[in-house]
Amino acid sequence: MTNLTIAIAKGRLQAEALALLARAGLRLPDEARLSRRLAIEDESGRYRFIFVKPADVPVYVEHGIADCGIVGRDVLLESEADLLQPLTLEIGRCRIVVAAPDSNLSDGFGMLRVATKYPRIAAKYFGEHGQPVEIIELSGSVELAPVLGLADCIVDLVETGATLRENGLQIVEVIAKSSARFVVNRASYQLKANFVSSLLEALREANEDRKA
Amino acid sequence: MSESLSAIPSGVRYYFGREAHLRRALEHAAMSIFKAWSYEEITPPSVDYYSLFERGMGSVEAQDAFRFTDTDGKLLALRPDVTSGIARAAATLMAKRERPLRFSYAAPVFRLRAESHAEWRRESTQIGCELIGRNGCAADTEVLLIAVEILSSLGLDGSYAITINDLEVFNGIVGRLGLDAPAQEKLRELVDTHNAGDLERFLASYASTEECASFAQLVKLSGRGEVFQNARRVITNDRSVTALDRLEALWGVIDSLGLSAHFEVDLGDVSRLDYYTGLIFKIYVAGVGMRVGSGGRYDQLTANFGKAEPAVGFVLDLDALAEAMRANESISRLGEVAERTAALIMDEDPAVLFREALRKRERGDRVVINLKRDLIP
Repeated sequence: MTNLTIAIAKGRLQAEALALLARAGLRLPDEARLSRRLAIEDESGRYRFIFVKPADVPVYVEHGIADCGIVGRDVLLESEADLLQPLTLEIGRCRIVVAAPDSNLSDGFGMLRVATKYPRIAAKYFGEHGQPVEIIELSGSVELAPVLGLADCIVDLVETGATLRENGLQIVEVIAKSSARFVVNRASYQLKANFVSSLLEALREANEDRKA
Repeated sequence: MSESLSAIPSGVRYYFGREAHLRRALEHAAMSIFKAWSYEEITPPSVDYYSLFERGMGSVEAQDAFRFTDTDGKLLALRPDVTSGIARAAATLMAKRERPLRFSYAAPVFRLRAESHAEWRRESTQIGCELIGRNGCAADTEVLLIAVEILSSLGLDGSYAITINDLEVFNGIVGRLGLDAPAQEKLRELVDTHNAGDLERFLASYASTEECASFAQLVKLSGRGEVFQNARRVITNDRSVTALDRLEALWGVIDSLGLSAHFEVDLGDVSRLDYYTGLIFKIYVAGVGMRVGSGGRYDQLTANFGKAEPAVGFVLDLDALAEAMRANESISRLGEVAERTAALIMDEDPAVLFREALRKRERGDRVVINLKRDLIP
């Protein structure tokens, strides 16, 4: 019987998240790391890891199917899920930015066309600035949209900025800084308080090591 | 384009069979316990003026109501909560009744938007109670004990946790910062999500080291009696200390009744600052990802209807409770009455058939009439 189920965002964060968990003492058996199974137990058998798309981590945790999870702040902002976020992790650092071919977006747009994978973050940001926008939701290669004339600008995640530069885009505004978060289901936080607190403590130490 | 006959709107559903039976039994179990604590059943109107809910729930929450207009142009709403209607009745219709008032209810409520992603339903049934006209530890204890009795009677002992907090602990610290409303809301959200990292960054520009330490304490893991000792070390403003005293007194009573194993203190639970005024509590049951119930003290509410008086109450979500029963394999606890075997009756003469059916019904048997086609012309 596992104590806790932990949802991990696949892709960009996965390797770093697993390395952090390993430093916290949660190691995956070697054969499991290579397998394509989406649900595996750690060596102690006390933790079960499930690997899901980043946007699905808040879904699993909010429903309590996973007790906790590791996911980027960008995903949390977009999902508006009701979760506890007791720990900011030192992994998956990036920025959520507005980028455009021309860095001057400040006037002349009665309506701005914005291409993004993050419609809620974009709508909230431009709403706060009183800028009317048409949000064009895309699922990838967002940088293409302004180049081809589908949109005036994009709202997207930036790690190094290389993709933006290569597509002739500049950062106009940084909406938020993002890094990974350790999130916990509200019910699990109370009902499995012992397990959650010991994992939280172990993660906090592993995270501090990383910070130092 | 014609609408599909099979589709139903999102957030609503059918209940039938075992599930309907379970819901009926749960409602009955809870209402019997309310009755045994002398709570009078009350059902406010399903349709009421929208302004009632604006006053009762606050304008933000009320916006989630289904709205429509009356023949005279007044805005109506399908009730999004039950408490608003009860608070108005207490302050007006029952203004002269002796206090305290004790009410219980089991009624469906409707919201345009589900309360969270995990709670997709837009129609849900609230089972709850209100104790109006009494302040203090005794009233708070009374409603908490009723919640405990309901959960225990359902066989959920050891599977549930009730977290308690007093919002004045948070308010006392915030009051000293002099924040505007948006900043205060941001701060509330950070504490409510126990987001220690962002909280520290946010406070850096507003607060002294001492205040930062106070906030950090709020989002620490919840716990039992030791929480008070830890909190008192860093939280020293009068308003918060008064609240801590109050909460600790309540904890003392719970503990002396031997019930503290069911409870946790969670100073970071600040989910509804605009509504609750002191005690706030949440009910969680193992196997259910969302909360099963919540409650607290709302001493400002009836003032919105012209008669200020203290009040405390809680509400259980019937669907979440049903899920809790299934998750904990506790359904048998409801004591389903074993029915006598269904009697199948067939006869060519309808009068003979129904005479036999009535006789069996008088004995308490369950009957199923086999209505063969064209049996009764």
